[in-house]
Amino acid sequence: MEAKQKATTVLIHVILILISITMLVPFLWMILTAFKTLSESTSVNPFVIFPSEWITENFAKVINNMDFPMLYLNTILLIAGRVIAAVLTATLAGYAFARLNFRGKNFMFSLVLFQMMVPGQIFIIPQYLMVSQLGALNTIFALVFPGLVTAFGTFLLRQAYMGLPKDLEEAARLDGCNIPQTFLYIMAPLTRSSMVALGIFTAVFAYKDLMWPLICNKDVMPLSAALAKMQGQYASNYPQLMAASLLACIPMIVLYLIFQKQFIEGIATSGGKL
Amino acid sequence: MRDLANPKKGTSQERNEFVWGWIFILPTMIGLIVLNIYPIFKTIYESFFKTGDFGRGNIFIGVENYAKLFGDAEVWQALINTFKYAIVEVPFSIVISLVLAVLLNRKMKGRAVYRTIFFLPMVAAPAAIAMVWRWLFNAEFGLLNHIFGTKINWVSNPSIAIFSIAIIGIWSIIGYNMVLFISGLQEIPGDYYEAASIDGATGIKQFWHITCPLLSPTIFFVMITRVIGGLQVFDLIYMVIDKNNPALYKTQSLVYLFYQNSFVENNKGYGSTIVVLLLAIIMIITVFQMWGQKKWVHYS
Amino acid sequence: MSVSIVTYFARFFYIENNIKTFNYSIYVKCIYMYNNLQKKRQYDEEGGSRFMKIKRLIAAGLTATMVVGMLTACGGGSGDGGGSKKKGDTLTVAIWDTNQQDGLKQIMDDFTAETGIKTELQAMDWNAYWTLLEAGATGGEMPDVFWMHSNEAVKYMANDILLDLTDYVAKSEKLEMDKFPQELKDMYTWKDKVYAVPKDRDTIAMWYNKKMFDDAGIAYPDGSWTWDEFYEIAQKLTKDDGSQYGFACNPSNEQDTWMNIVYTMGGTIVTDDNKSGFDDPNTIKAMEFLDKCIKNVMPDANTMSETGTDVLFQSGKVAMISQGSWMVAGFKENDYMVENCDVTRLPKDATTGKSVSLYNGLGWSASAGTSMPDEAFQLIEWFGTKEMQEKQSELGVTMAAYDGASEAWAGGAEMYNLQAYIDAMEDTVFRPHTNSTLAWWNPMVEELKKPWNGEESMADACKNITSIMNEKIAEEDY
Repeated sequence: MEAKQKATTVLIHVILILISITMLVPFLWMILTAFKTLSESTSVNPFVIFPSEWITENFAKVINNMDFPMLYLNTILLIAGRVIAAVLTATLAGYAFARLNFRGKNFMFSLVLFQMMVPGQIFIIPQYLMVSQLGALNTIFALVFPGLVTAFGTFLLRQAYMGLPKDLEEAARLDGCNIPQTFLYIMAPLTRSSMVALGIFTAVFAYKDLMWPLICNKDVMPLSAALAKMQGQYASNYPQLMAASLLACIPMIVLYLIFQKQFIEGIATSGGKL
Repeated sequence: MRDLANPKKGTSQERNEFVWGWIFILPTMIGLIVLNIYPIFKTIYESFFKTGDFGRGNIFIGVENYAKLFGDAEVWQALINTFKYAIVEVPFSIVISLVLAVLLNRKMKGRAVYRTIFFLPMVAAPAAIAMVWRWLFNAEFGLLNHIFGTKINWVSNPSIAIFSIAIIGIWSIIGYNMVLFISGLQEIPGDYYEAASIDGATGIKQFWHITCPLLSPTIFFVMITRVIGGLQVFDLIYMVIDKNNPALYKTQSLVYLFYQNSFVENNKGYGSTIVVLLLAIIMIITVFQMWGQKKWVHYS
Repeated sequence: MSVSIVTYFARFFYIENNIKTFNYSIYVKCIYMYNNLQKKRQYDEEGGSRFMKIKRLIAAGLTATMVVGMLTACGGGSGDGGGSKKKGDTLTVAIWDTNQQDGLKQIMDDFTAETGIKTELQAMDWNAYWTLLEAGATGGEMPDVFWMHSNEAVKYMANDILLDLTDYVAKSEKLEMDKFPQELKDMYTWKDKVYAVPKDRDTIAMWYNKKMFDDAGIAYPDGSWTWDEFYEIAQKLTKDDGSQYGFACNPSNEQDTWMNIVYTMGGTIVTDDNKSGFDDPNTIKAMEFLDKCIKNVMPDANTMSETGTDVLFQSGKVAMISQGSWMVAGFKENDYMVENCDVTRLPKDATTGKSVSLYNGLGWSASAGTSMPDEAFQLIEWFGTKEMQEKQSELGVTMAAYDGASEAWAGGAEMYNLQAYIDAMEDTVFRPHTNSTLAWWNPMVEELKKPWNGEESMADACKNITSIMNEKIAEEDY
């Protein structure tokens, strides 16, 4: 029995490691390229895998070109704004769609789904015009604007609520909780991991959004948009682009690690206790 | 639906739910209608026009755009390409990430490390990813051909280019699916598994009888969103397939065509028509899936 | 509360005891519920009384309001509604080439030192740039001063998006409009009004790999060669084993490669009466020559499309490529090229004796809705003066639109014979355009992919392009 368990564990680790390598190869390539010179990175004959000299010039150039503290602050505000707004609105709406019965519910929900079915590019110009008319161009509000509500998040949380047993609510109602109380004290806390997942996704998508900040804002830029400027019209300086992307990845990874430790792992251990 | 244990409820509960239901959904719905639904209807409206520049001088041409659409072989080819992509990306990515999520849900060494590694593709800039994969797939100088010693035209052979793009798609979306599955798995209390082990069911049996049914709402959600997302593929194709590429015709997706028409060739009316086509297709598929949910998705 | 739990448990246990088979879901559901109700109890105890909860909610609400307030206040935006800005004191300038950013910034700083008007430069990539302009033109805010390109200029001019500079230009004492190429000025003039001042120009020249020439024992080209001689050299430099090719070109290398051959051989892309030039016998002759090259001295179309011609050149895979002067900034940084390559004038045609280079030029324009029109023109004028045009060349930004101001640019990279680009100015043709150029330009490139792949003969491609072009040009409604 022991041996069999050990064998299974080893097998699982092997599979995981193989898949990890597949995941990592492009990243390793990115890292290696960031340390090469431009000709080394585009040289194909001979094919250069390891840079002959690990130059840090690319990173230096990227860091010098950008006002990092301001960019980080903007990025944090952008992410915080969108995550708070999205999670709040989505969890309320998700509960309502999942558990409450009211006229017009199905029609409204189909509108929610509707939003997801079209390519995002059609929203850019109308939303830009709206922000412009509000007089809020070039502010953090403009950055947050498209992400204030999320159809995706609403759908996600609706699924989460639908997965909870109906009897919980009945039990709560028996005890005299009205709807908002049921929601606040019982249902919402149980969907914590979905809310965290939504938070993570909103943060990542907010972070990766390039086109919108470049269009609606001039100075108030988040990190990713500033890094997008590394791409020229005709030729990209690949090592610099890689260096910039790596620097950009790091905050996200840190954020993910924090979320992981605090929430996901936290919930996992408490969920099963009697 | 009267609750027999509580005969006092009745209409006051219904009214209550009505009020609270609307209050809860109001912020989201207002936001969606203003930010998103209005532009969608504007787009549909535009599809009946030959659009002028900067929103001026639109000429109403009725269904002419649609007539052109149905006769346009390029559009139909793009539709086929899009389907090819979605058919490969969606099932593979779901299965792989489901297995990974389950494997990573148990207590094991290095779990956080693995999870972070699988999450990495999600945080990398799309431009960087496209560039790296473009090089990996390069027929002359790419790493893949270098390692396998082959000379396959991964991204310039019209028959296989779309599948190479699908591989990149799967690679980048596994992390996303995995996060969703893990969060879904968290909500399954450990007691279920304990009870099952007490009863002697282990491993794969547990997977089929406990994990899958209880996770089905999440699986359903991932499937719907991935199908919708897959059918809207654009960024990868735009960044990996150059306009000189002979495989372009057999790889461009509907959204790619839409982008070409609306933003490059300044023909927003026709671009909007393509969007409407895509919208209709996605709607049909989604309705189909929603109907299917009643059959196999298990809500407790 | 305890009453309800007990009732629930009672019901389930009753059912359970009466069913012989053990049903997971009911038993476990029961435990689940019990767990969660426990959690709720814990929650309650932790939080204390209900009052505590309300206090927490209020606190959360306040924080949220604070955050929202911070978001709107923070970031010091300027916008105050609609398309017009407050009359500020800073001119916003937008461009799409980050390579030119540093040089232009210096010129702008000189402007500020001279006039006291502050400026702010915004550089982004091509796609974002045009989306920004489009959004601004549709009803938002536009930058004050920005670049115009021949592809898009007509659209912006015909719709009154650009500031009319005619009077400013006429009254200007510093601008010498006669020193700018006529076609460039014509490009940015619409219905007799001037909308942009020429900024730069670019030409095309042929780059070659000295090392490959050395290895094959061929003398370096001195710019007096013909296309036939070029072809022979390319053949000699093409190795049978596919490790080296003489030349490379993609369908999308129009301005920088194949269109030059067309014009050199006496053909044209667009005729004087605005029809397609692809049925002109000289055009066809040039395209057939190109076809000969594709089949014999170039790598296969797949390779060239996956890896751009410049990268193939820089990897020592191809002996010669033709490139525009805008690539020089990047070429200066490439170690391989610095060591092994040089540039010379494009070959001429044996019959016509001409060596024609295409040229294009950007223009500086201003937004019609700018709140600082006078200042905007001052900046545009500044860019167009002889001194600043020369400075632009010196800083290696681009060649100047101003005649004769480009000499400094040629000296900017001693390792290369950039004089070739200057010499090319002797015989140039402006980049072909009609009022809606892109409508036929893109399908033209798309159609050419077929002969490149061997799917269609070049002659047929030319016929198809002729009909597509004429169709699209007829549809133009400016």
